[in-house]
Parts: sequence; structure tokens; C-alpha cells
Amino acid sequence: MRIVVCVKEVLDPDAVNNYAVAGRLEIGDDGKTLTQTAIPRLMNGFDEQAIEAALRLRDAGADFTLAVVSAGESPEKLLKHAAALGADEVVAIQVDPGSLDYHLVAALISAQIEASGGADVVLCGRQASDDDQGVVPALIAERLDMSLVTIAKAVELEGTTLRITRVTPDGDERVETACPAVVTITNELGDPRYPTAAAKVKARRVKPTTVTPDDLKLDADDLAPRVSVTRQFVPEVQGNCEMLQGDSPAALADALIEKLRADSII
Amino acid sequence: MSQNAVIVCTWGEDQDGLPVGAEEVLHIGRGLAADLGTDLAWLVLGALPSAAPETAGRYGVANLLQVEDAKLESPQPDALVAALAAVAGERSPRALLFHQTQASRAVAPRVAGRLGDAVVMNGVSADLSGECIVVTASAYGGDTRVVYEVSGRCPVIAFIANAVVPEPGDGAAVAAEALSVDLTGVEERVKIVEPARFEGPRLDDAEIIVSGGRGLGSSDNYKLIEQLAAALGGLPGASRPLVDDGWVDSSQQVGLTGRITRPNLYVAIGISGASQHMAGCSAAKTLVAINRDAEAAIFQYAKYGIVGDALELLPELIRAAGAR
Ligand SMILES: Cc1cc2nc3c(=O)[nH]c(=O)nc-3n(C[C@H](O)[C@H](O)[C@H](O)COP(=O)(O)OP(=O)(O)OC[C@H]3O[C@@H](n4cnc5c(N)ncnc54)[C@H](O)[C@@H]3O)c2cc1C
Ligand SMILES: Nc1ncnc2c1ncn2[C@@H]1O[C@H](COP(=O)(O)O)[C@@H](O)[C@H]1O
Repeated sequence: MRIVVCVKEVLDPDAVNNYAVAGRLEIGDDGKTLTQTAIPRLMNGFDEQAIEAALRLRDAGADFTLAVVSAGESPEKLLKHAAALGADEVVAIQVDPGSLDYHLVAALISAQIEASGGADVVLCGRQASDDDQGVVPALIAERLDMSLVTIAKAVELEGTTLRITRVTPDGDERVETACPAVVTITNELGDPRYPTAAAKVKARRVKPTTVTPDDLKLDADDLAPRVSVTRQFVPEVQGNCEMLQGDSPAALADALIEKLRADSII
Repeated sequence: MSQNAVIVCTWGEDQDGLPVGAEEVLHIGRGLAADLGTDLAWLVLGALPSAAPETAGRYGVANLLQVEDAKLESPQPDALVAALAAVAGERSPRALLFHQTQASRAVAPRVAGRLGDAVVMNGVSADLSGECIVVTASAYGGDTRVVYEVSGRCPVIAFIANAVVPEPGDGAAVAAEALSVDLTGVEERVKIVEPARFEGPRLDDAEIIVSGGRGLGSSDNYKLIEQLAAALGGLPGASRPLVDDGWVDSSQQVGLTGRITRPNLYVAIGISGASQHMAGCSAAKTLVAINRDAEAAIFQYAKYGIVGDALELLPELIRAAGAR
């Protein structure tokens, strides 16, 4: 059995948020990219959890080859982390991130999967914390004609059947599907593990297999961008909060409840 | 029906005889169709919501299309994707629009994949630039907006429509037109073994929500949030750290990766106001923030604010809310 986990490098969303909250998030002269060069780049959190989901399958006794693939400018750092965690193969698809549209990412990853022995399970994050799109896994499922299960918090494998717990607005749902399938992982899965120090040292020597779009022989239709970013901007927040005053918690509480009653909100 | 229509796609019926978000997306669709000089159509998959014909009239829908099939009785993804792709193949729409829900998040991008067309999620508005549809979408949990230019025949676009204020007009009701689609070959590949148990009212539909965050300090204090919510006649919610730490169930998480709410009143207590949380509550009509830190970002979104200690204020708020 072969499991492929797709990991994306993103700007640390907490750092981006801190800049935003401080009113210091800025877009560069190209009108598209954030100027903050101090923001660390790291593995999308949901993708770390997708690796964790694979490792838990292995802990539970499943026997498979684990491949971790990333398309981007220089995903080596992420891939070393994946290798230290126990990935058997790590693959970097080298592309200019500026030109990446979601169909192209999905086409590249799908072609790489097909060229390297296929996959019984493809694990992805529920969404990338930069674009929040959450479309690449569905596009991969369509290209590879696999079933799709989204927002999974627990994944079990029994033979070639996947038993999955999904988080839904109405509570948890248990589903089953036959491999091959694409499954997207959500944060409710729980904390991902850290590699051991020894594994990290060993992983330093790992060289990812590097492929280019040319190696993957995509056709013109696959390569044609369908979505392009023309602009990015920081939305304005209005900010006209009335700060309630009072000399005790009781007075403040009364002031608020009075306001809400006066406005007929409660 | 004319080809090239902008088609709003919905299924199910949840609120007042309509699917949640239908009016908002019809509102956006009407604007986009007018810009493109084309018709607006509404495609219903499965049972026709009781208010659909009337609502269609009020948003200038030229064609109300309905695909009825046993496989769409309680619509599952494979049947929905197949039906949508079939209708798109036959009618050559100019765009397919969806209200973004967890269900449409799993369907819309697959339709785009099957058609080979562009897809953009998290849309907040759609406009025209020359011949091209441009979609403004939320990114980084709401910290930024990205403007995407979408090319190709039939882009698939999903909107987070909770900030849209629909403006119905007064057109006459539109009769539904049955479409037949062959779904005989479609088998749901994912089987539901144990359905989600619907546990009481949902945050998505609540008029009043009181949410607690990490500022509560410990899980025991969350019961104060529940008490205040009850005293105000609302539901309790939470920020993500409380879910991650197991204080509350994930169905109570408000935000980008939790519930997207639009209550009349949202009270945020001990919540900093990270964009990913605000994505789930910034459409509240009135937002109240209670935070120890006067500089907390949450105050930027609030109508009323109190700087103070949540644990001192909560018992007093419960008292004041209860007193008449
Ligand atoms: C991809 C992604 C998706 C995410 N999705 C979500 C989501 O759906 N929902 C969500 O909520 N978060 C989400 N997050 C997390 C989000 O970025 C924040 O980390 C989170 O919302 C912070 O929660 P908080 O405000 O409770 O905690 P903190 O940020 O730690 O804030 C605690 C606040 O409490 C105040 N405080 C402390 N003590 C007291 C006291 N005694 N009295 C009053 N105030 C006090 C502090 O001043 C502070 O403002 C997501 C993050 C990522 C990266
Ligand atoms: N460039 C990429 N390389 C590898 N995996 C990716 C890439 N982009 C997206 N993915 C996968 O698809 C998921 C959803 O991404 P997105 O559709 O961009 O929100 C991510 O969590 C990853 O698992």
C-alpha cells in the first residue's frame, strides 16, 4: 500500500495575524505579496496533521510506503521534517509559486502520484492557511478518480477500507470508503508529533527527489492558468467601539445590559 | 432557456422554506448576470424549497430549474457533482455560484475539476473587468482579501455570503421547470455509517451567542459562559483554543474553521479577536467585547466594549441579564 501526503509551505498565519492586529500588515509594490520578510515560512498546520494521521495509521499496524510531496519554490525544509518523521520518499515539485493556480498544483501533484506508483490514500490538509481555498484535494480526487472525504479528525484503515470520523456542523459523522481516496485533515485530529533528535540528524542527509513540470509531461490544457491573483489588500476594520464605563464590575454589567435593552437587542 | 446564464446552485431547505444563503447568493448572482448582460438562473437539486418560486421572482430569476431524482432525495456529494456537471454540460452556463457551506466546499471544487474550469472559494463579491469575472475572496483567515481574475468558460465560485444584505425586488413567482439528468450510473463512494447527531439548536442559526476564549483561564469557568448565554436566551460558543484543549465540543467553535454565524448579538469574552475567529462572527449585528486588554483587536469590531476581568464581570452580567 502507498500513502501520499501533500504538504504546502505557507507564511506563519499567527505571525500574519499579529501584524494585522497591530495594523502593520502591508502589501508590496507588486500589489500582491505581503512585504513582511520577517514572517517565518512553515508547513501548513493542517498538513502537519495529515502527516500525523498517516503516522497514526502506521502505529496502528498498517503496512505502507509513505511519500510526502510538496509543490513550491523550495520545499526542502518541510520535506526534511517529513523525512525525520518517517516518510519513506520525499518529493519536491519545483515551480515558481507566483504562477501557481490550483488546477496546476493539482495537475502537478496528480501527475507525480501517477508517475511514481499511484496512491491508495492521499492525505491533505483541509485548507492552506494562506489562501484558505481548500480546493486542491478535491481537484486531485477528480483527476485521479478517487473518492473524497473532507474535514476528517480520525482515520482508520482496515484492509483497503477507510473508516473516517468527520467533523460536521451537526457533530461528528462516521463514514466509510474504499481506497483509493483523498482525505482532508482538520485540526481536531490533535497535535502532531515531533521527530526524535536522532531522526532529525539522519534526515539532514535526505535529499528530496526533485521533479519539474517538464518531467511530468503535462499538456497545454493542464498548464493553462485558470485563476490568477491580480491584487491583494488589507481590508479596513471600522472601529467605532463605545467603551462602557463604571466603577465596579456590577456597574459595568448593568451599563451593558441597559444598553442592549435600550437598543432592543435583548 | 438561453445559454450562458449565471446559475445559482442550491440543495436542501433549512430556514423559512429556503436553503441558508440562497437569497444572498441570488443577490450576488443578479448583479453579476446584469454586468454580463445575461440571464440569472437558479438550479435546485432535489426537492424544491417551498419558498423557491416566489423568491426566484423577487431576484429576477429567468429560469428556475429543478433536477428531481431519487438519488437527490437526501443529496450526497457524488450525485450532486454528477448532476451539476451534467446540467453544466447541457446548458453551458457562464458561471456556477454557490453559498459556501461545509457541504458545498466538498462539491463545488469537484464540479470545477470535472468541468476543467476555474474555482474560487471564500468569495465576498464578484465583478466584471472587461470580459473577465473577478472575484474578491477572503484569505489568511480574513487578514487580507485576494482579487482573483478567473478565466475559462464556466468558473465555479462559492461565496461566504454572511455579510451580504440581500435586496429582494417584487417580480412575479417563477414556475419551476423540470430537468432530467441521468444519474443511473452514480454510486455514492462514501457511505455514512453513523450520521452526525443533530444536538439541539445550531450556532449557525442562533440570534444571540455568548462566546468564551482563552481569557477564561480554565475549563471550569466556561460554565459562566453557558449561564450568561442561557440568561440572555442564546447559545454558548467558543474560540478554537477551547476546542483544541477539549473544554468544549468542536460544534461550538466559531470561526474560519468552525461555525460561521450571523447573530443579532455576539458577546465575545476573553477572546483576542484573531481574524480566524472574526471570520465566524464579524457579521453579527451587534458585537460586544469584554477583554482585560484595552488594546485587544476584538474592540475594533465591537459596538460596545468593556475593559475588565471576565471572571469578575461574568457573575454580574448573569445577574443583570436575569434581573428585569
Ligand atoms: C488556519 C487557522 C484556522 C483557525 N481557525 C479558527 C477558528 O475557526 N476559530 C477560532 O477561534 N480560532 C481559529 N484559529 C486560531 C486563531 O488564530 C487564534 O489563535 C484564536 O482565535 C485565539 O483564541 P483566543 O482569542 O481565545 O485566545 P488568545 O488569542 O490567547 O486571547 C485571549 C484573550 O483573552 C484576554 N484575557 C486574558 N485574561 C482575561 C481575563 N481574565 N478577563 C478578560 N480577558 C482576558 C487577553 O487579553 C486576550 O485578548 C485558527 C488559526 C489558524 C492558523
Ligand atoms: N503547493 C502545494 N504542494 C503540496 N500540497 C499542496 C499544495 N497546495 C495545496 N496542497 C494541499 O492541498 C491542501 C489544500 O490547499 P488549498 O486548496 O490551497 O487550500 C493543503 O492543505 C495541502 O495538503
